[in-house]
Amino acid sequence: MLKETLQKFFKIDRRWIFLLLAVTLFIPIVKPIGLPNKSISQATTRVYDNIEKLPAGSFVLLSLDYDPSTRPELHPMAMALVRHAFSRNLRVGVVTYIAGSTGLIEELFAKVSKEYKKTDGKDYVILPYQPNILAVMTQMSSDLYGIYTKDRNGTVIGGMPVLQGVKNYKDMSLIVCVTGTAILDYWVAYVGDKYSVPVAGGVTAISQPGYGPYLQTNQLKGLIGGMKGAAEYESLIKQPGKGTSGIDALNLAHLLVLALILTSNIILLFVKYF
Amino acid sequence: MSETWMIAGGWIAAGLTIFLFSFLYKDNPFFKIAEHLYLGAGMGWLFQVSVTNVWIPKIWEPVSNGEWLVIIPSIMGLSLLTQFIPKISWISRYGFTFMMGYGSGLYIPAGISTDFMSQIEGTIKPFTLLASMSPMAIFNSLLVAGGAICVLFYFFFSVEHKGHLKKVSNVGIYFLMIYFGAAFGNTVMARFSLLYGRFDDLYTFSGSNYFYATQAILAAMVVYFIFHWLFTKGKKDDSAEEAA
Repeated sequence: MLKETLQKFFKIDRRWIFLLLAVTLFIPIVKPIGLPNKSISQATTRVYDNIEKLPAGSFVLLSLDYDPSTRPELHPMAMALVRHAFSRNLRVGVVTYIAGSTGLIEELFAKVSKEYKKTDGKDYVILPYQPNILAVMTQMSSDLYGIYTKDRNGTVIGGMPVLQGVKNYKDMSLIVCVTGTAILDYWVAYVGDKYSVPVAGGVTAISQPGYGPYLQTNQLKGLIGGMKGAAEYESLIKQPGKGTSGIDALNLAHLLVLALILTSNIILLFVKYF
Repeated sequence: MSETWMIAGGWIAAGLTIFLFSFLYKDNPFFKIAEHLYLGAGMGWLFQVSVTNVWIPKIWEPVSNGEWLVIIPSIMGLSLLTQFIPKISWISRYGFTFMMGYGSGLYIPAGISTDFMSQIEGTIKPFTLLASMSPMAIFNSLLVAGGAICVLFYFFFSVEHKGHLKKVSNVGIYFLMIYFGAAFGNTVMARFSLLYGRFDDLYTFSGSNYFYATQAILAAMVVYFIFHWLFTKGKKDDSAEEAA
């Protein structure tokens, strides 16, 4: 009798699990619980350290290649990286090879540049979307102005203070690519390794394990992985944002999955052996 | 952007999100509308990006300024379209040949250097520094090198995997399983992050400044499903009787 009742658990309509998951994720949004995020990975710390050690005025190139489909994971980390760069008074250049990211980049800089009172053209420059990433990367190795002549608003970039003394990769202190695609692989293979430029990355949690070999060989100077990585970086710069608030929801959802896996396995063992 | 457009955007975003999520309950016309709209909008977006970011700045403007050499790659690009006309599809080979040559020339040296040589170097290099390494670092290096050898051996099929060789191959499987487990765990985390992102937006659109878009659309969907259930319940019974 008990076995039959327990076996009903395996025939449960999965829509109840969807509903349970939805409620679990929604509760921390309405009422944040404030679960701590105490562990900070070495890979994230390495990105932070690489930016932290740069002297003020250094030029950092951000390749922000993500669209709304990966926004919840990648936008918070991009925002934390820009905040960190601005707080260190670094010059920031932004490129993108994903057409859908242009709106997100505008949104990001509209917000963060006001927080740090940074000026477009003087402290940062946003270059327009370019197709054919490999051709652009190759061209930028010799002359940035050979491929980019104007910024995204059509202003000529030639005399911009932010780009003073920056002609190619040799004049850049660090390249950070935030993406949910293979574009970070291109930065490592076609730029980092080839021209000895430090390259770091921010990727979705799905892609994160695949970059382990590049981290081990130091081909990648650091890696921020998923929303957890974004929360870690926000902790490092001491500015909690969407990454930190998302950790509550993620922790609860993971606990729910663990509980479901454990429950179903215990029931399975009970049904089989008792 | 004006406030009216922001509110309209909020309603559209909340509506499309709820319409798409409604498929988790059951298929319905609102899901179909959102699905088709997504495909149509995606294609439209791609077309305008191709025109405004590729065709105009890379072909039209240079040609207008007298840079006639741009026409050569443009023609090679256009040659790819001859694939759709069987009689002259051979012309597309010129475009593909160029793309293959260019791609191979660019990728092969970089691939060998980045993904092959550097990885071998990274696996072997720690063994030249053993004297200065901590016991944990030595163990880590041995684990990485041992794992790499075992996994590579698992994919080496010129020797029959039996006896001690089978054990090496089995260890390779365990390393692969650990990787797959880690990758799957991260995939689950990533999917939850995306779901959290949508819910976070839905919560934003549920505010009074968006005129309670989320609640209104959610309530409308619930009403639709209740009416749908009421109207189709009788029909199902009739069709069941006819079938009997």
